[in-house]
Parts: sequence; structure tokens; C-alpha cells
Amino acid sequence: MSLVTEIQEIAAQYPQSRSAIMPALHLAQKKYGWLPREAFEEVGEALGLTPAYCMSVASFYDMYHLEPVGTHIVEVCTNISCALVGAQATLEAFERELGIRPGETTADGEVTLRTVECYGGCGWGPVVAVDQRYHEPVKPEDVPRLVQDLRNA
Amino acid sequence: MSMPELVRVTIDEKDVHVAKGTGLVETALSAGIEIPVFCYEPRLGAPIGACRMCLVEIEGMPKLQAGCTLTAQDGMVVRTARTSSKAAEGQNATLEFILVNHPLDCPVCDKGGECPLQDLTFRYGPGKTRMNFEKTTFEKPIPISPAISLDRERCILCYRCTRFSEAVSEDGQLVARNRGAMSVITTFEDEPYSGPFTGNVTELCPVGALLPTQYRFEARPWEIVDVPTVCGMCPVGCNTHATVREGKVKRVISRNHPEIDEGWLCDKGRFAFTHLRAADRVVEPIHRVRRRGFEPVSWPEALDVAESLLKAADGRAVVALSGSETVEEAYALAKLMRQGLGSHHAVLPEEVSAGLDAYRLPLSAIGDAQTVVVLGDVPLNESAPIVDLWVRAARRKGATIVQTADDPAVSSTERVVLIWSGPGGRGGARVGELAERLGLAGKDGCGAFYIPATPNGRGVADAWAACSDEEPAREPDSIGLLVVSGDEAAGNPNVRALAERAEAVIVISMFHGLAAGWADLVLPGTSYLERDGTYVNLEGRLQRLRQTATPPGPTELEWISQLAARFHVEIPPYASAVFAELSKRCYGGLSFGEVGERAPLRGYVEAPVHVEVPPVPEPAEEPPSGTGLHLVAYKPLFSGPAVERVPELQFQRPQAEIELSPDDARTRGIANGDRVVVSAGGVSVELRARVSKDLRAGVARVALEHSGGLLGNVEVAPAGAGVTA
Ligand code: SF4
Ligand code: SF4
Ligand code: FES
Ligand code: FES
Repeated sequence: MSLVTEIQEIAAQYPQSRSAIMPALHLAQKKYGWLPREAFEEVGEALGLTPAYCMSVASFYDMYHLEPVGTHIVEVCTNISCALVGAQATLEAFERELGIRPGETTADGEVTLRTVECYGGCGWGPVVAVDQRYHEPVKPEDVPRLVQDLRNA
Repeated sequence: MSMPELVRVTIDEKDVHVAKGTGLVETALSAGIEIPVFCYEPRLGAPIGACRMCLVEIEGMPKLQAGCTLTAQDGMVVRTARTSSKAAEGQNATLEFILVNHPLDCPVCDKGGECPLQDLTFRYGPGKTRMNFEKTTFEKPIPISPAISLDRERCILCYRCTRFSEAVSEDGQLVARNRGAMSVITTFEDEPYSGPFTGNVTELCPVGALLPTQYRFEARPWEIVDVPTVCGMCPVGCNTHATVREGKVKRVISRNHPEIDEGWLCDKGRFAFTHLRAADRVVEPIHRVRRRGFEPVSWPEALDVAESLLKAADGRAVVALSGSETVEEAYALAKLMRQGLGSHHAVLPEEVSAGLDAYRLPLSAIGDAQTVVVLGDVPLNESAPIVDLWVRAARRKGATIVQTADDPAVSSTERVVLIWSGPGGRGGARVGELAERLGLAGKDGCGAFYIPATPNGRGVADAWAACSDEEPAREPDSIGLLVVSGDEAAGNPNVRALAERAEAVIVISMFHGLAAGWADLVLPGTSYLERDGTYVNLEGRLQRLRQTATPPGPTELEWISQLAARFHVEIPPYASAVFAELSKRCYGGLSFGEVGERAPLRGYVEAPVHVEVPPVPEPAEEPPSGTGLHLVAYKPLFSGPAVERVPELQFQRPQAEIELSPDDARTRGIANGDRVVVSAGGVSVELRARVSKDLRAGVARVALEHSGGLLGNVEVAPAGAGVTA
């Protein structure tokens, strides 16, 4: 089934087809790994929206990738509560361990490191999400093991 | 309608009575009090409360409120920054916040001096900044299209531009990318912001973020004069200001006429003015001299030549009109030809009928209609763009838009408006007949529109008819002289064909490209921006044009007046005096001064004399037969002599594509973007297919310049094997 048809089937369950944009973007991201130009064109075609509008919605949310990403994604919360309990040090530990800066992907295309805003786990900061799974709290000394696990995964 | 309930609101200790539900900003205004705003703009739909500039204190509410999102309620007590220190502090803080990343490069910003951000900061903002860190910087300016420059550093994220794109022009191309402080305004990928209405965002933007590229570094507000006039590029006749500096038009901006344009303009009317300075502009008369070719001559010499050509024609002259002449110019030309020379033959630019006059409405009535019937298949945004915006507004308000008067919606609703947008309308006569058949006469909110092909076809016909009651004898066997008035006539193939039969030709044109080669005498033409006078728009509204820029030579009216004197015909060289003369005959004696800055729709006092002259024939509408489709070839908005000479509009020229209805595309196995072959009678063109939901089955649509001369019944098939989408 083509992406467009798949999206239209989901859209049929909503009173207004445009409301299906979030799951539609997820499907497109599953297909491409991230959201390239074609993804927005297809989502737009399926929902009767402009590609610009779809891109605009996707760009609002952290979970949609507007740039290619690695196989695994490490996201470090650097918002205020986590920052107060040492998120910066945790982030720097990841930078050292992976040899990249936030927003970058390792040369082998395996891991992307990002910073994100509050994950809603403020009481147990610093919060780190590895491939969408939360780890809390993550201290700098926990980082090598986490990265090792990821590489072995 | 029932009287709206009145409520009492106290603003800064002043009581006002307004209709319940009136916006608080307007309520304050009616008390002479300003609530400052950035994002609030009622023409863009419901308020969004994005900027917080409008903070006010409301009695009984613990926190400051965004005044723009509230409406008048009985007993409401409101304090603005004038009487509430809390509101004043709130607005001050809002401005400090808005300015955190604003570059404050006012000295080099084209908006400087006419900038709401500057004005409101001056009135309500902090005098000093506490921000001593580096501001966010962006690459600037970014051409979001060849016509519009975006400076992201100056953007205050009010979302006026994106709301226009989403909810007025409904093109959905301009959006915000990212979130919060990182948000930027953008189009999709590297696509230019395109469409008929993009330029409006440059006026909506309350800061210097979206600016017309043509105006970049061209003038400062204290050097300019905004001259009120009307657009002469299409039959809508939007009200405009031409911004003039040192005799030159530097930009065209809107001048809100709520019944016509609501303050919107199309990009042709806004950006095409630079045709005034086209490289091939004719600036002096040109005379064809046997053996020596074409040479420039002085104006007195040119008038000598014109005089002898007119005399030699001996009553066998034919005038081909463009429909872009002012009423006064057309009248002057008619008076010279008809009264001075006894030459009564004219080729009018299009058929004109008085049959619609009983169904006249302001364009804004479309927006209030319950049912809008759009007949014919020429897209409104190509022929009369603002009409398209009114239809969209009606649809947003819940109106049903249908394509046939047989639709049940027509009989089941009260306010029905008909719009004829296509060939074969006989100057409005047919839609007038339809309106009569539906019994729309005299019914509130009901009426009919016909979209003419030229900006002032009606006015030109009125003027020609007003000049003499004499009917032309049959067409002269031989044409002694063909006078081609204006660029549209000069570019018309039918007029060119007449020229072949004429012994001599005088062409009045702005551009060498149109005048060169076929005229014995070329007289420099002027643009609607260079003339004083009046136009009649598609509503039948008489409007005032003003001379905004200095033309390279005399205007048509000036030299026609001189030429006429040689034939003992008295024509004053001033539009006001000419109007006084013709107004008695066609506009009920209205005076020039009364035409008005924001002209009302007066309707015709008495039906003007019907003109029995053959117009340039319109192709008749034939029903499609067999397997064929009915091809409608329309004149695109972005075409014509002026647009061709404006570099910033070239990207807007129509693509080589044919529009098909979803049904017709499916049955032919054609998908969006496929190459197709369109053919009839051995002629064929290859085009790209575009599937359009709003097209009726059986009809295909193409821009005239890509039609390959095809019209009427055509076959459409996928292009040869091996070609993929
Ligand atoms: S570009 Fe102008 S209109 Fe658009 S959001 Fe920014 S400030 Fe507002
Ligand atoms: S819609 Fe017509 S009258 Fe209005 S600006 Fe465009 S060309 Fe001019
Ligand atoms: S601040 Fe990090 S999870 Fe809330
Ligand atoms: S004007 Fe009220 S929030 Fe912008």
C-alpha cells in the first residue's frame, strides 16, 4: 500500500482529514527515516494540505526529524529542572563519548545526539531518552555504559 | 434585519455605546482611544492574540487582557495605558520583549518612518534597552520570491503574513517553521511564494520584515507623495495609492475600498507599474518615410502628419479601441473622428450590454451571498482576481459555490449572486437574462456580475456612443486610415488583420515592441498611471484616475485636443472639462469633483445609447461532443504588454500545462504531472497535465499563450510511450 493510501485510510477515521496530520507524519517518517521533501509532498497530497503546511507542523515538534538522523537517537533534556541538576555535564559526557556535538551524527551513521526541551520527568533529572526510551537520572559516569549498550544493540 | 443590541462600555472613564460583540479595539476607537496592536487585523479572520501589544486592564479580571481578543459586553470597564499604570507597564514590557532580538536598523530599513513597530515603541515602549548581549542574526534579506524580500531579524512573529496565506488567499504557501523564539517565516523548501495575491503580505507586515523588492532603498517616507488613484490593469478597478517620488512611481499600495477590494491588491496591479520605465518605451513620435524607414519626429511634425493622414482618409477611418482608454480620452477621440471627420467606425474591444444594469451590486455583496453561481470556466483569479477573493470569503462564511444556476441551492437560498466568467457572455446580456429568469431583480443581496476582458470597456463604449447619435453606415469598402488606440488593440490579431486592409495606420502605443513595423505614424501612448480621468469598472462604478507619474510626452487628451482644433472641433485638454461635457450625456450630469475618492456605486441614471458597432468577435461556447473535451483558453493574469516588461513578475507567468477535471483525467489514464498531447484538426501541442478539482468534467483549460491556437473541441491523450511522470 502506498503511503498516500495508508494515510487516507487513517484520515477517514477523523471528522476532518487534516486532523490526521500527526500520525501521517509518523508514517512518513517511518518510511523515510526522516522527513524529506517527498514526505511532505505525499502527506500533503493525502490530506489535501500544502507541503508547506505539513512542514510547518512537523517543524514544531521535536519528534519529527527535518534532517537525516542516525540509526539511534540520544536526546538529552537541557531544560531548566534537568539543567539545575547537571544536564550540561551529562551532555558533555555524551559529546566526549561519541565525539560529536548536539545536532550531529557519528561518522558511521549510527548515533545522533540532540538536546531537547522538558520531557516531563523533571523530578528525576537529568533525563535522557535513547531511541525514545527514558533513562533517569543519567549522570556523566553512566554515559559510557549507555553508549556501549547502544553500540552493541 | 433586527437592530443589534447596544451595550455600554466604559473606556478610560468615557462611556460609549456600541453593538454587542463589537471588537474592543473598535469600541475604544469609537471613543477616540487607541488600543495599540500588531497582530490584530480583522480582515484575516478571528484574532489570535499573538503579540500582546493590546494589553488592557478590565475591571473584575485579575490579570491584564489581550484587548484584541475581547468583544464589547454591557457594563465592561476598560482601562488602557492612558489611565492604567498596570496596562502601561504591560505594554512597555511587551515592547521590550518584542525588541529583544529586533535589529533596530531603522536607518536602513525601508519601513522606517511608516513602521507600526517604530511608532508604537515611540509611544508605549521603553526608551532604553537592557539587552546587552548579541542578538540573533539571520542571513538577510532572503528573496522569498523575486518580488518580495524577507528580513527575518526584523520579524516580530505576529503571523499576519501566514494567516493571509492560509485564510485569505488560501494558498497555504507561507508558513512558520520551528517553534518559539526559533520560529522563522518561510515557504516550502526553495519554492518562491507565488500566486495572484502574494504582495499583500508586504502591506500586512507591521515591521520591515516583508518588503517589496522593487521598493528597496528607493525612497524615504518624507520624500514621497501617495497619490490616490485606481488600478487600470483589469476590470475590478482596485483603489490604490501610487507612491511617487520626483515624478516617478516607486510602488503601488492599496487604498481600501470596502465595497471593491477590502484593501487587497493582486500582484499585477501592485508590481507591474515598472512597465512605465520599460526599455522599449516609445518616448517620441515616429514617422515612416518612404525609402528612409522610420524616424523620430517632433510633436508638431507628428500632428502635421496625423492631420494629413486623417484628411486623406476622407471619412473612411476606423478606430480600434483598447478598453484601457479613460472615458475622457475615448470621448475626445470619438469627438474628433465622429464630429470632426464624419468617421463613425470603431472596433470596440469587447461587447458591452446595458442588460446587467438592473442587477448591479457592489463586489462586497459576493462575500455576503448564500449562494454564488460561477458560470463559465475562465478562472476568476486570472480574469478579475479580487472577485476570486470575494468568492473565497463567501465560502468561508458558509456560502455554497456552484457552477450552474440549476443547482438546488439557487432556489433554496435568499441571497444569490451570479458571476459570468467565460466567453460567450455577450457583454453581460446573457447573465442579465438569467438573473431575470431567476427573478433576482430588486431582491436584497441578489445580483449579477459579468467579467469583461478590459479595464474600461464599458466606459469606452459609453463615451463612443455619447459623442454622436449618428449610426455608422455599413463598414467602408476600403479603410482609408486605421487608428489603433492603445497597446491591447495593437496586440490584437484581429486589429492587425484590419491593418492589412488599411491604406494607412496610426498606432498609439507605449512600446516599440507593439508599434514597430506596421504604422505610418506611431504616437507615444501613456499608462493609466500617467493620466487623469475616469474608468468604469465591472460593477458599473465610475471611478477617478489620477495622473501620478509624469509621462514622457503629452498625454493622449492633450494632443488629441490640439489635433482636433485643426478640424475645428473643440476639445479641452483637461479631463475635468471633457468629463463635464460627456457627463450630461451618460452620467446624469455628475460633476468631475463628485466622482469621488472612494466612489459609490451609483448605477446608470439613464441607459447609455447602445452602440451598434461590431466588437472583436468572442469565440462562442460549444458543448463538447464525442470523446473530445471543450478547451477553454484564457488570458492569464500574468500576461500582456505590461507584465512582459516587469522582471519581478516573470516567475509568475503560466506554466505550459493543461488543467483537466479528475473524471476526465481518470478515464484517460492521466495522472497529475503527466505529459499529454492536446490535438484538434491536425494541430497538436504537448503539455503537462494538472488535475484540478474545481474544473467541470468535459472541460479542459489552458493559458492562451500555451494553447497552440487550439480552442473548442479537442482530444487529450497521454504523450507517447516511454514518457513517465
Ligand atoms: S514577517 Fe512580518 S507579518 Fe510575517 S510574522 Fe513576521 S512580522 Fe508578522
Ligand atoms: S485585481 Fe485588477 S484592479 Fe485589482 S490590483 Fe489586480 S489588476 Fe488591478
Ligand atoms: S526539565 Fe528535563 S524533563 Fe523536565
Ligand atoms: S494585537 Fe492583541 S495580541 Fe496582538
